[in-house]
Amino acid sequence: MRSVVGLEIHSQLLTQTKAFCSCKNDSNSAPNTNICPVCTGQPGALPVLNEKVVEFAIRAAIALKCEVHEVSSFDRKNYFYPDLPKGYQITQYFHPIATNGYLDLENGKRVRIRRIHIEEDAGKMVHSSENITESKESLIDFNRCGIPLIEIVTEPDMERSDEAREFMEKLRDILRAIDVCSGNMEEGALRCDANVSVVDDDGRSSSRVEVKNINSFKYVQYAIDYEIERISSVLRSGKDVKHETRGWDFTTKTTVSMRSKEEENDYRYFPEPDLPVLVLSKDEIKTIMENLPELPDEKAKRYENVHMISHDNAVVLSKDKKLSSYFENAVSKGIDPRDASNWIVNDLLSLFNADSEEFDPEKIPLDHLKLLIDYTNSSKISRLSAREVLAGMYKSGKDPKTLIEEMNLLQISNEDALVPVAKAVIDENPSVVEQYRNGKSSVIGFFVGNVMKKTKGKADPKIVGDLVKRLLDGEHK
Amino acid sequence: MISSSVEQLIEKIRSKELSSDEVIEDFVRISDELDPKFKAYISKCKVGGNGGLLNGIPFAIKDNMELVGTKTTCASKILENYTSPYTATAVKKLIDLGGTVIAKTNMDEFAMGASTEYSAFFSTKNPWDVQRVPGGSSGGSAAAVSSGMVPFALGSDTGGSIRQPASFCGIVGYKPTYGLVSRYGLVAFASSLDQIGPLTRNVRDAALIGNFLIGKDPKDATTVDHRIDLLDGIEEPVGGFKIAVPVEFVEGLSDKVRVLFDQTLEKLKKIGIKIDEVSIPSIRYAVSVYYIIAPAEASSNLSRYDGIRYGLSTTEGSIDEIYMKTKGEGFGREVKRRIMIGTFTLSATYYDAYFDKAQRVRSKLEDEFSKIFESYDAIIGPTTPAIAFKFGQLSSPLEYYLQDVYTIPANLAGLPAISVPMGFVDKMPMGLQIMSKRFDDGKMLRIARNFEKVRGDFPSPEVSR
Repeated sequence: MRSVVGLEIHSQLLTQTKAFCSCKNDSNSAPNTNICPVCTGQPGALPVLNEKVVEFAIRAAIALKCEVHEVSSFDRKNYFYPDLPKGYQITQYFHPIATNGYLDLENGKRVRIRRIHIEEDAGKMVHSSENITESKESLIDFNRCGIPLIEIVTEPDMERSDEAREFMEKLRDILRAIDVCSGNMEEGALRCDANVSVVDDDGRSSSRVEVKNINSFKYVQYAIDYEIERISSVLRSGKDVKHETRGWDFTTKTTVSMRSKEEENDYRYFPEPDLPVLVLSKDEIKTIMENLPELPDEKAKRYENVHMISHDNAVVLSKDKKLSSYFENAVSKGIDPRDASNWIVNDLLSLFNADSEEFDPEKIPLDHLKLLIDYTNSSKISRLSAREVLAGMYKSGKDPKTLIEEMNLLQISNEDALVPVAKAVIDENPSVVEQYRNGKSSVIGFFVGNVMKKTKGKADPKIVGDLVKRLLDGEHK
Repeated sequence: MISSSVEQLIEKIRSKELSSDEVIEDFVRISDELDPKFKAYISKCKVGGNGGLLNGIPFAIKDNMELVGTKTTCASKILENYTSPYTATAVKKLIDLGGTVIAKTNMDEFAMGASTEYSAFFSTKNPWDVQRVPGGSSGGSAAAVSSGMVPFALGSDTGGSIRQPASFCGIVGYKPTYGLVSRYGLVAFASSLDQIGPLTRNVRDAALIGNFLIGKDPKDATTVDHRIDLLDGIEEPVGGFKIAVPVEFVEGLSDKVRVLFDQTLEKLKKIGIKIDEVSIPSIRYAVSVYYIIAPAEASSNLSRYDGIRYGLSTTEGSIDEIYMKTKGEGFGREVKRRIMIGTFTLSATYYDAYFDKAQRVRSKLEDEFSKIFESYDAIIGPTTPAIAFKFGQLSSPLEYYLQDVYTIPANLAGLPAISVPMGFVDKMPMGLQIMSKRFDDGKMLRIARNFEKVRGDFPSPEVSR
C-alpha cells in the first residue's frame, strides 16, 4: 500500500492593515478593538483591496516558482457562521492570482503547487466551555476578521508524513525569508489541512480524507501518520473509506470525523461585484521579483559554493534570517567560515535548542564568539573547555576572556607544570606501563586521558601525549 | 416655496430673500402637514452641515442609506431598530455642502419592489391619486418631492427604483452611470446594479445634485475617477442629434400611451432631433437576466442579517435556530422569495444554467447597446409601460416584475438613464426615459433639458393639506 498526501495551507500575511479595510492587522489586541463597519459587515459597507496584500501574495507566488497572472479576480464563498459577519468570505475561486509552482524537498522530490489565492480570515469564537457543544454562550472577537490570507494548494505529490512536515517547514522558512508570514503554526499564522488517501497494491485508491485543525509542525507528521494508518486498517478490513472531513485532536492524538462530504456546504461561489478585476502590469510583477530577497535554498547553495561549508550546515544556516546574517557577519569579521558554521550550528544552536529558545544574535556578540574561536584555535583553551565557556557566555553574557579567567581554564601549555602530574599517573598504573613496554603503544591514550582528568581538561592533549611518551620511553630528563 | 426648485431656493437664500433656517423650518412644517396623508417618511431627523452651496436646503434620503445616529431600516423588520454607525458617502457629500436631511423615506423592503407595497411598515400614497402606488422602490422619495415636502430627495436604482417612481409621480429621476456615485453606505441589494441618484422637480436640479454626488470614493472600489460637469452646456441646443427608439420599448404599448409617446417624438423632432426605430434584441431577455442576477447578489448581500451583531435577533436556541427564526421573522415575503431564487441559481448544480448564462446575456446586451451608441446620441422610450397602478392591483409576481421592463436594461449595462415627465394618461403622469452611453450623463441631461423646454411647465399635484 502507498499513501498520497496533498496540503492546503493558509498563511496570514504580515501587512500593517487588513485585506479590505484600514483596520490594524493585529488579532492579539484587546477583543474587538481593531474593527470597523467593513470588517464587521455593517449594512452598506464595502471592501477595498489593500495593495500590500497583492504585493505579499506575489512575493510568495514568485518564491514558490508560480506563474503570476496579470488578470485575476475575487469571488464570494457563501456560508453561515457567527464568526463570518458578511455571511460570505471574499476569496479568489475562479481566477486565482497565481498557479503552477513548486517546492523541492531535500530528497530531491518536487512538490507541485497548484494555486495560490488571496482571501480573508474570519473572526474568532470564544466559548464559555472547553468545546462548543457544551458552551452556554460564545463570544466573538472580530479583530482577526479580514486579516489577509493566502491559501496555497499543493498537488498530491507527497507520500509520507515526514515529506509533508518538511514541506511545511521549508514553506515556513521561505515565507519568513520574504517577510510575508510569521510562520507561527501554534498561533495560527500558518495553518495546514492535509488531504490523505491510500492506494492499495492493485492501484485502487481509497476515498480522500481531509484532516483539519493541525496546529504544529510535529502534528503535521503525527496527524498524517495516524490517518494513513487508520485508512490502511479500514482497507485491510475490507471496508470502504468514507469521503469525509476529519479534525486532528491533539489531546488524544487521533483524528475525529467532522462531517461527511454529503454534509459539505454548497458555497454558491460567484464573482464579487464589489471589487473590480485585479489587473497587474508586467512591470509591477518584475519589480517585486527583482526586490525579492535571497531564498533559503539559494542561500544554502551560495554558502556551500562560496564559503565551502558542509551542505548540512549550509541548510541549517540558510533557514533563518537571523542565523544567516549572524553567520555572514561572523565571516565578514574574519572568522573562518567553516569554523563559524561549525560553532554556530553544532555548539551555539544546541544551547538555544536545549532551552527551546529561538536563536537570538544579541545573546552572543560576534566579538565574543571571535575571541573564543581565537582562544581555541591558538590552543589557549581546549575544545572541551571552549564549550563550557560558550555555555557560560550564553548564560551570563560575559565575554570569554573574563569567563576563562573565572573558570580557570587556560590550558597548561607549560610542559614543566605537567611533568609531576604525568609522572604520578605513570607511577599509579604499573600494569598499564607493563603493557606499553610489551609493545601496546595505544595505551598512551589511557595516560593522556588520566592527565587530562587530573588537570580538569586544561592541559593541551598534544603536549601531554608527547610528554607521556618520552617519560615512558625514559627519554625525559 | 412648495414648488420651488433647488436652484431657486439657493438663489433666494443667497439674495437673503429667505433665511436658511426659514427654508428648513418651512419644509419641516409642510412635511408635518402632508406626511400623514402620503406616508412618505419612515422617520424624521434633522442632520445638516453648514456653510456650503446647499446651506439651508432640506432633503430626504431613502431609508437604505446610512446616516450616523439615525435608524436605517430598509423598510424591514430585520433592521427596524438598527442605528447607523456611519454615514454614506453620497449623503455625507451633500451634508458637507450644507444640506440638511429632514427625513428618511419609505421604500419596498430592501428596495425589492416597485410600489412600496412591500415596505414592512406601510405603503406610501401617490400624491396624484392616493388610491394609487407612488412606484418603487424609492416611492417615499418620489412622493415627498412630488408633493412638495422636500425640494429633492435621494433614491437608489437597481432595476428602475428611481426612474419608475419618478415617472409615476410626475418628477425627474436620474440614475447616473454605474461607478459615478459611491455606494458606500447604501445598503446593498444587488451590488453590480445599485446606483444612488437624485429625484428632483426638474432636469437642472438633477444635474446640480448629480454634480455634488459624483466622484471617486476611496471607500468604494467600483467608483471611477471621471470628472464631468453635468451643468456644463446643458442649455445648448440639440439640433442634429440622433436618437434611437428600440422597437422592444414601444411594441405592445396601450393606445393612450402610444399617443402620448408619439406626441413626445414630435416635440423632439421639432427641436431638430433625428429619430430612428432600431432593434436591440437582447432587451427581450433583460427582465429574465435581471431576475437571476439581482436575486443572486441579494441572496449573498442579505446573508449578514443573521441576528448575531445587530438588527432583529432571536437569541433562544441553537445557532441554526437563531438563523431560521431571525430571518423567518425579520424578512418579508418578497425578500424571502428573492433570497430563495438567488440561492437556487447560485447553487453548484444550477450555476452554469442560470447565473453564468445570465452573465453572458448581460454582456451581449452591453455589446448591443455599444453598437447603437456608435450611431446614436441616446436611446429613448416610455419609462414605464403604464401609469401608476392601484394598490393591490398587481397580485402576480410576474406581472409585478414586468413593471421594470424598460428600466432594467440601463442597470444591466451600467448606462445613465433619466425619467422626465412627458405628459398625462388618464390624469396620471408618465415619464420619458432617456439613456446614453456610459459616462455620457452630460449629453443625456442636455437632451432631457431641451425636451423639458419644448414640453413646457409640468404641473404639480393638487395637494390639500
